[in-house]
Amino acid sequence: MEISWLQAALIGLFACLSSMPGMGGSSIGNYTLGRPLVGGLVCGLILGDMTTGVLVGCAMQVVYIALVTPGGTVSADVRAVSYIGIPLAMVALSSYGLSPESAEGAALATSFGTMVGTLGTVLFYGTATINLVWQHIGWKAVEKRQYKKLYLVDMGLPWLSHLACSFIPTVVMCKLGADVVELIKNTLPMDGLAMKTLFTVGSLLPCVGIAILLKQIVKKAADFVPFLFGFVLAASMGINLVSATVVAGMFAIINYKIKMLSVKGAVAVDDEEEEEI
Amino acid sequence: MEKKLSKKSLLKSFHNWYYGHLTCFSQEHMQTFGYLCAMLPLVEELYDNEDDKAKAMNTYTAFFNTEPQLGTVVVGMTAGLEEARANGQEDVDEETINGLRAGLMGPVAGIGDSLVVGTVIPILLGIAMGMSGGGSPLGAIFYIIVWNLFAYFGMRFLYFKGYNLGAKAVEFLIGAQGEAIRDSVGILGGIVIGAVSATWVSVKTSFTLLNEAGEPYLELQSKLDEVFPGLLTAVFIIICWALMAKKKMSPIKVMLLLVVVAFLGVFVGFFNPGLTY
Repeated sequence: MEISWLQAALIGLFACLSSMPGMGGSSIGNYTLGRPLVGGLVCGLILGDMTTGVLVGCAMQVVYIALVTPGGTVSADVRAVSYIGIPLAMVALSSYGLSPESAEGAALATSFGTMVGTLGTVLFYGTATINLVWQHIGWKAVEKRQYKKLYLVDMGLPWLSHLACSFIPTVVMCKLGADVVELIKNTLPMDGLAMKTLFTVGSLLPCVGIAILLKQIVKKAADFVPFLFGFVLAASMGINLVSATVVAGMFAIINYKIKMLSVKGAVAVDDEEEEEI
Repeated sequence: MEKKLSKKSLLKSFHNWYYGHLTCFSQEHMQTFGYLCAMLPLVEELYDNEDDKAKAMNTYTAFFNTEPQLGTVVVGMTAGLEEARANGQEDVDEETINGLRAGLMGPVAGIGDSLVVGTVIPILLGIAMGMSGGGSPLGAIFYIIVWNLFAYFGMRFLYFKGYNLGAKAVEFLIGAQGEAIRDSVGILGGIVIGAVSATWVSVKTSFTLLNEAGEPYLELQSKLDEVFPGLLTAVFIIICWALMAKKKMSPIKVMLLLVVVAFLGVFVGFFNPGLTY
């Protein structure tokens, strides 16, 4: 699979829009285009293989299902995962002749995506640092009371940061990708220790993604029960995700009603007594 | 005559925040420039005098950073406060406005990170991934539509709630009802994430003991699955959680640790992705 200049440039544009901080704004950019699932669809459409794109995106999405960036500290860069990692993984899959639907295909995609995503944090810090230059212009404008200039500073000039830190790196990586994959393939045989480790890491990494999410929800041991309940629904009972969400919704409603009873408890009892009288 | 902000400027202010809160992000000032852009249309409508404008804009040069979706309520509240200040209300000055912003930044970020980024987005992604079987674009399209409608109208609702209700707007978030909602959404999220893990994460061992005739008499994976389907996956997720939540390890360190675990596992034959060309 070859990525043409035009395709690479289009993917580069999406990288500019999708990053955190990105030019699509965070709802459309970071939280929509930046999610690997959506990135997979976009890359798949651009590269002319939507099915593979979506499947690769899904595999990577698990690792980054809860990419929380508290206080602007990032553990992975979404533009790198979605718009460098996914195209490279697609190239790798076609080069190795692996099906993206197989467990091996998903493991390869995950390893590639995570590696690129972690290295990509450099792009995040690069963008944020270049933005300091524009902000300096912004402070000057505030001092001189040229407030209209703030729009240029906030929404215009950061495009230049992205040209340097999103567009160019993405285009270069997409163009070099095929050669790099070929190099890895020739130097590291599939049945060797290195490749086996790479694939195993790919199957282990989603655990970190899920664990990051659990950190948000689980405060004490009992909080693990809903998680394990959901796990049992899917693993032991074979219920699919959409149905599991409905079951989960039912439990959430019951919990809400019970909680509200204890809040409004006293008031509600009073009302009932009055009615009886 | 009492000054009243027009719907048009309020909407412009909201849209500036909706799009621009993170476009010019830097580690030093974070969302400050987005905030300045959001306040500019309001300040321009409220004040005719250049000195008054400058005084108002200077208020918002103070550092600001929070979870941007939920943080919209803070922007709405300051819109209301700025209007009150323009009408000469004496208890509203730079100090009260910035006191409120600084006081709400932390709690709103905490609730927003766990509610929006840690629960709502993963639930939507979980459902979307369930709809992506076989590489179908349906899941990604579902996520794009539902998340963006939710984000846009949710943020718009919060902005106007903040503007109309002032301080009362946050009572809803941190009051008893807000807590009951958060608790219930947490349970919903926990169950869905459990189902996502069981569906999309798969940690398997290839550990087998052979008898003298060379036939396997212990296949660890199938034994484990008899105890609890997906046991290894669940155990790995909980270990990752414990390392991050209890041992305070960063996600990147946990990922590196998994690389070591994978390498050793492959070396002793515990893991084997079973690859061939």
